Amino acid sequence: MQNRTLLCCSFALASAAALWGHHSFGAEYDANKPVTLTGVITKVDWTNPHSYFYMDVTDKDGKVANWKFEGYPPSVLYRTGWKRGVTLKEGDKITVFGWQARDGTNWAHSREVTFQDGKKLYFGPPAGTGDGGNAPPVEAPKGANE
Amino acid sequence: MTALRSVALALAVCAIAGAQTKYPAVPRTADGKPDFTGVWQGGSNRIGSWEEANASGGLGGTPPAAGAAPVATVAPRPPSEPPPYQDWAAKKVLEFYNRRGIDDPDARCIPPGIPRIETFGLFPMQFVQTPQTVVILYEVYHVFRIIPLNAKHPDDLEPSYMGDSIGHWEGDTLVVDVTGFNDKTWLGPVGSFHSEALHVTERFTRVDYNTINYEATLEDPNVFTKPWHTRTTIMLRNGTRLREYECEENNEDVISYEKLLKDDSVFRRK
Repeated sequence: MQNRTLLCCSFALASAAALWGHHSFGAEYDANKPVTLTGVITKVDWTNPHSYFYMDVTDKDGKVANWKFEGYPPSVLYRTGWKRGVTLKEGDKITVFGWQARDGTNWAHSREVTFQDGKKLYFGPPAGTGDGGNAPPVEAPKGANE
Repeated sequence: MTALRSVALALAVCAIAGAQTKYPAVPRTADGKPDFTGVWQGGSNRIGSWEEANASGGLGGTPPAAGAAPVATVAPRPPSEPPPYQDWAAKKVLEFYNRRGIDDPDARCIPPGIPRIETFGLFPMQFVQTPQTVVILYEVYHVFRIIPLNAKHPDDLEPSYMGDSIGHWEGDTLVVDVTGFNDKTWLGPVGSFHSEALHVTERFTRVDYNTINYEATLEDPNVFTKPWHTRTTIMLRNGTRLREYECEENNEDVISYEKLLKDDSVFRRK
């Protein structure tokens, strides 16, 4: 009847087309610089085309650094289970996984946020979105390197 | 333990397979055409509401949970061939790729054009259908397409980001002819530029209750050696509503790009 398949828990199914994102991950962020940081939220910007949150991170010597994390716009966050002013607030303690900016500052692209109760939500897309990934969209033409 | 897991998985799959039969036939309008009315998600092949389809690793969804229930899908479409650029144009695409997409017009809040807009799976689109016109509203960039049926393109077209669309029915397939583009959008993959000669023919076929098969044929003799065919599935998302998306509200990426572009060795691939 209908050509259906059932696959379990596969996120690889998302077509490559869907990954043609709004803007380049790779220009700003380095997929080879993953970071996992725990800290206290100091500010949340619930804005288009991307949202941001800021977080104080204290190192082992007690020195505090304020980090900035980029993520999805509000409409995407709503549909993913986030609520403005409820899910993430100033003073909340979270752990975030993401990738650091190429300029080496305290700035990163966020992916997975873990709350104190263990709940996890995505705040941003995977590494590589919008930058062409690991393979060019065309074959190298003759003389491409001339 | 492994055997138990297999049995549990088989039962879960059977439960979902059984659930597929609950869907009605393709709805039709009073004039007998397939009715596309509703909210949809491009670039996905998962069945269900937005929340069901995107949970546990879906587009923009939640992280995969251990032991999460299987997600029902339709068969993925065959992958598109690479766009058939002429050699000079392929070099230009490679340069955009080596610059990691920093030149993407969409990052500057430019409307994405066609067919790229059909693939933004993070954002829903809504079809509104009458016997004379099909309208597609897109959350992303808050753009829309008005597609008059059995009409002709105006003879005073100015180049535009989304082009001019007209449609007609071929059996149960909505065929849309799009022309009148400017050359300021990308077609989808990083760097996939085109000229004002771009001509797109789209075919929307609602093959079952949940699924529109989308095919696009792109002709642009200024950059391609032959027509390029690309495709995706567009999935029904009952219960989802389009929300506001105002791209220019706080586009900090453009500011960071200006800094990066002063020294492209920071981000270039080679």
